[in-house]
Amino acid sequence: MATHKLITLPEAVSRFTRDGMQYASGAGLPVGADAIAFGRELLRQARSNLHGIFHCNSQQLNLLAATGAVTRAECGFTGLEGFGFANGLRRAVESGQLALEDYSNLSMALRLLAGALNLPFMPATVNMGSDIAQRSAFAPQGYPASDKIPGITDPFSGRTLGALSPLKPDLAAIHVTLADVQGNAIMLGTEWSRFELSRAAQKVVLIADHIVDTGCMRQFPNLVRIPGIIVEAVVWWPYAAWPQASPGVHDIDETHMKLMNQWLGSEEGTARYLEQFVHRYRTLDEYLDMIGPDVIEKISHGPTSFLLDPYRPWIQPRSVVEALPSESPAPRSAA
Amino acid sequence: MSASVEPAPAPYTRQEMMAIAAGREIHDGELAIFGVGLSMLAGYFAQAHHAPNVRAMTEGGVYGSTPLGGLPWGIECNRISANAVSFTSALDALGCMVASGRCDVGLIGAAQVDKFGNVNTTGIWGHDMGDTYTPPKTRLTGAGGANDIASGAKRFVIMVGHEKKRFVNKVDYISSPGYLEGGQARERYGFVGGGPSAIVTTLGILRPHPHTREFELSGWFAYTSVEEVRAHTGWDLKLAAHAQQLAEPSVSELSALRRVDQTGMLRKATAQ
Repeated sequence: MATHKLITLPEAVSRFTRDGMQYASGAGLPVGADAIAFGRELLRQARSNLHGIFHCNSQQLNLLAATGAVTRAECGFTGLEGFGFANGLRRAVESGQLALEDYSNLSMALRLLAGALNLPFMPATVNMGSDIAQRSAFAPQGYPASDKIPGITDPFSGRTLGALSPLKPDLAAIHVTLADVQGNAIMLGTEWSRFELSRAAQKVVLIADHIVDTGCMRQFPNLVRIPGIIVEAVVWWPYAAWPQASPGVHDIDETHMKLMNQWLGSEEGTARYLEQFVHRYRTLDEYLDMIGPDVIEKISHGPTSFLLDPYRPWIQPRSVVEALPSESPAPRSAA
Repeated sequence: MSASVEPAPAPYTRQEMMAIAAGREIHDGELAIFGVGLSMLAGYFAQAHHAPNVRAMTEGGVYGSTPLGGLPWGIECNRISANAVSFTSALDALGCMVASGRCDVGLIGAAQVDKFGNVNTTGIWGHDMGDTYTPPKTRLTGAGGANDIASGAKRFVIMVGHEKKRFVNKVDYISSPGYLEGGQARERYGFVGGGPSAIVTTLGILRPHPHTREFELSGWFAYTSVEEVRAHTGWDLKLAAHAQQLAEPSVSELSALRRVDQTGMLRKATAQ
């Protein structure tokens, strides 16, 4: 039976998120394809006290930290690469509003893999000896920290390793380039840690640039790294990664990247950002108008556009996607 | 160095000198991992100039690509994704390629570095934290993949602007381990990788003493002096055996670097 999991972005947020949850973003991080539109919708629905699992910071975490919606976070990298420090996150950490637990980019991936495999811990040869292992923002008392990455002994060689705790976030909102209505998905560009995350999370919602016919998945099954059987819902929301990039689909919007990060650097700027770029739209058309047709035109013909060519025959036009009946199957589990 | 037989180069910036000197640390055929920004420019400069067969990757698992249209905004952005031969994941690049011990060399940046090559990119506290963790006065970017490179790569090179506030006796926070407290300290933790082989700065190159692992001045650039380097270093910087002035960029080095640095990021940079 062909299950049909397409729902709207507001419905996905209202159905699958709640205050205080452990919320993970799945993306090509830090300035690549992240479903930043999902974060905007979290704010539109006034979610709070979130515990963010972000392999790396992105403009989504920058925004959620600046507004105070995320109060705890675990990350490997917390900058914006070429765009500098993440000013909203930085402000939240320095003021103590956000407790940020530091890991590294490999240790976050290993923790997700441990969660995916349901292992009690993952042995690691990284982070040991550094303050990542010895300082804890979640358990600040005591140096060196005893419970963050405790040392263990390799039973075979006797060597000391670190034990990384597993991650099993309540929800992963994962950006994908292509999804069918059953939740089978193809990602273009680096997967980063979306494979492990999709298996580690209790629930997975996909945010796709394009909805494709399932024939696409049957043509390229090796490339379908997230199969529909572990996906609760699929959201079609083009330019969900804006102002970041989605390889094959659109480039980074450099002007907005800088504006956003500058505004999030102050309380007043953050309030202005919420008013102008979070609460200003209600529909997809209004969202696209907010980005602006000239910007969309400019970012939509980048050097990676050719990556999408093999899949184009299966991409469903907007009229077809919008004519698809709203999701109807019996839910696999209660929300 | 080829510089001795070529004519004097056109004027160059200190950032360009640092990128070229760091690129000289990368050898042909090596498996190499570059971070974003300066270290990527230095790495791709090496590939464009003297290491055409360097096997480069980014920590997101982008293989076989060269930057297109200027310096990539990130290790996964479109400018580094337009001519790749393989896209995988962080687990693959930082795990299977680096933590495994396979990676020959990594290039990383630093906000602070100390005399044992420990790197801080996490925050500035400005005081000893003591036994209780407190938020930093200034939050930086965190370790990212640099901790993994510092733990697992056979060797790594640190690139950092040479300022006294950055070259400290002891970093506020060890984001990425150098030689920790010096000597054999790294061996307590069973790291796969060997530690930092050089600190390349805007003024020269520091290398670790073979036994104490304290970084010493190994060479300085033509536009500076031992005295100036020492004045900008927060510990009593020793002179390494055979320390010397280093070759200026050759014409071919500079033109290779500028082909990679299409947008002129290193030329816009001010002194330091």
